[in-house]
Amino acid sequence: MTSISIPSAAEEGAQHAAPSLADPRRASWWVLAVFLAPALAVYIGLTAYPAFRTFYDSFFTIEGLDATFVGLDNYRALMSDETFWVSVRNTFIWSFIAPVLDVVTGLLLALALYAGVPAARFLRVAWFTPVLLSYVVVAILWMWIFNYDWGILNAMLRAVGLGALASSWLGDPNLALGALIVTHAWKWAGFNMVVCLAAIHSLPREVLEASELDNCGWGAKLRYVIVPMLRPTLLNLYILAFIGKMKIFDLVWIMTQGGPLWATETVSTYVYKRAFNWNTFDLGYPSAIASVWFVVVCAAVIILNRLLATRERLEY
Amino acid sequence: MTARRIGLAAVVAAATIASAAPAFAQATQITMWSNWPDEPAKKDWVTTRVKDFEAANKQCSVKLSFIPKADLYTQAKSAVRTGQAPDIFYMEPDQPEFLAGGFLEPLDSYVDLAQYEDWSKPAWTSKGKVYGLPVEAYTVELYYNKDAVKKVGVDVPASFQLTQEQFTDLVKKGVAAGITPVSQGVGDRPFPGGLLLFESLLRKLGIEDYGKLLNGGLSFKDPRVVEVMTWMKGLVDAGAYPKSFSTLKLGESHFYFYNTPGALTFPDPSWFTGRAFAPPEGGGMPANFPLGIMQFPAMDKGACPDCKTLAVAGSFVMYSKSKNKDCAGALMKSMATVENGTKWMEQVSLQTGLKSDPAKINSPRKDYFAELNARNKNVKYFFGTPLLYYRAKCAETYTQVMNNAFPAGLLSVQEAAEKMDSACFKS
Repeated sequence: MTSISIPSAAEEGAQHAAPSLADPRRASWWVLAVFLAPALAVYIGLTAYPAFRTFYDSFFTIEGLDATFVGLDNYRALMSDETFWVSVRNTFIWSFIAPVLDVVTGLLLALALYAGVPAARFLRVAWFTPVLLSYVVVAILWMWIFNYDWGILNAMLRAVGLGALASSWLGDPNLALGALIVTHAWKWAGFNMVVCLAAIHSLPREVLEASELDNCGWGAKLRYVIVPMLRPTLLNLYILAFIGKMKIFDLVWIMTQGGPLWATETVSTYVYKRAFNWNTFDLGYPSAIASVWFVVVCAAVIILNRLLATRERLEY
Repeated sequence: MTARRIGLAAVVAAATIASAAPAFAQATQITMWSNWPDEPAKKDWVTTRVKDFEAANKQCSVKLSFIPKADLYTQAKSAVRTGQAPDIFYMEPDQPEFLAGGFLEPLDSYVDLAQYEDWSKPAWTSKGKVYGLPVEAYTVELYYNKDAVKKVGVDVPASFQLTQEQFTDLVKKGVAAGITPVSQGVGDRPFPGGLLLFESLLRKLGIEDYGKLLNGGLSFKDPRVVEVMTWMKGLVDAGAYPKSFSTLKLGESHFYFYNTPGALTFPDPSWFTGRAFAPPEGGGMPANFPLGIMQFPAMDKGACPDCKTLAVAGSFVMYSKSKNKDCAGALMKSMATVENGTKWMEQVSLQTGLKSDPAKINSPRKDYFAELNARNKNVKYFFGTPLLYYRAKCAETYTQVMNNAFPAGLLSVQEAAEKMDSACFKS
């Protein structure tokens, strides 16, 4: 039998009188300040101030060293900026649709490993390897794969008599965004696989065994047992992927720079273009885009949380 | 005795240090960022100029870095704002924001402007002051494979200029023979896809109206412009460009032209030589490649068949907030000489905005120079490429539409003209 000792009032008083570093709730303010200061300084210097400054700059036109207050002019201009809306559309397509591909692919790969496919150890490493590659390497690799003349994709299509389907995958506005989404999914499928695999292994064995005793087939077990129990994990993966894709830049910049005809322009690439490729030093307008997008990302995450977390509590 | 010796030694040592101190104090290090990390001839020219300067000016040393152009521009844009830009950096005239922002130092009092070619000064002149050292200049040329063109059954006339119809015929014959008529790719550059169209527009419109077109004073719906664009669209639809046009990079389009799979023509600025004259094992042109230069085709009822684009490209500028302007100015002065212009022509096989002495050019590429000079004899130059004139959204639209989508066959003439007008035409 466990005995519970209750400290006397005198003991409690003694503890308050001698604050201990072991219990942060009882540390004095200056001790807390000393420990918090470095992290706070880094946060304020590298996150809070730049964010505030971006918001502040969005009300100015900055030419060279001169800043002119323009009020909401940058925001008004943004509302009628056709390229901005194209980039918003592309980013939303990417952010809402591509995570489904990412998560489903990751789940299928995890299930394959869980089911004990041959060479599972090798496959686990092979499927996870793209996660370790930098975007630059991944982009160059897939630019080769998508190359019209000698890329392996078109070469395979030609080899099996489907040469008519050979396309300029990154040069056709109807295909370019899809090609980038596939590339991105390939890179992150391994990450989703590892998380899903860990989640599958942590499922209660008795539930899975009970379903088997009930003569539940693989398909039914997947649909009615495994996926529902993995739902919180899958939702977390979806939202993480969503946030990542709302900020996507590297892959697009290396592979298409937003082209052809702005078909792959994302908000991040457009901000970069406006800040550094626009024959101007004005940071006001790009700051306005960044500010609007910051609000949009925050709002989208909150809404997704509300919509998807009605039944399950999200864990990230 | 020993004490005296020690004392004497101390005095001598102190005197030595004291005499050396001013020399150390005077040694000033300047920083310099150059483009061309992947173009050996240009890199060597810059490096040699810097070494020569350091040898002749012991009080100055130079920390020289070679950075790819896009990265250099991005870094420079951040650095000039924060006062951390290098004393001297690479710049092209199509980046006017540095001048407009007050970040460039006028060079009039540092270099001898008489060493500049007269035509190169306007590229860097603003309010009567000159802000750049125009090292690299170029004309837009139409290179071709003499053997392949002959093989498909087209004879290049003595004027080295095909008519509009003859060029169409060349394209069709090339396609029929399975040879790509025009090697071009826009995978990593914002301009090559517009070369053939805009050189044709220059010949059709003449210098004055072409200038209006580039300054937003003439619509892309002008009948003459539409006529040239329609002709161009016909070439595109006939298969003039490689299927991989949108993703083919500049370096790859070189290889495509003079190596595998091969092409009939290659529109390119005359800096073509930077890559083509590299050793074949380094991706350069094979030694026996039958290279020719023809004029861009003459347009039907064109106002100026002899017109051609001339432009200043790679230049060096001085940061207006440099703390070492004396050394930086001295380096730029030492670079701006006729002798160095001659060396540039000799080493790089490319025009320069500095004066040069053709009689002293001793190049293994003499034949190439002779042909280039012949194609530039009695021509009327228009100064600057479209991206020297187009800014901001207009430049971005040019890049997406005229450089890429239109020559890739993704847009009709009307669609392309409308997009360009909406971004560039000042009605």
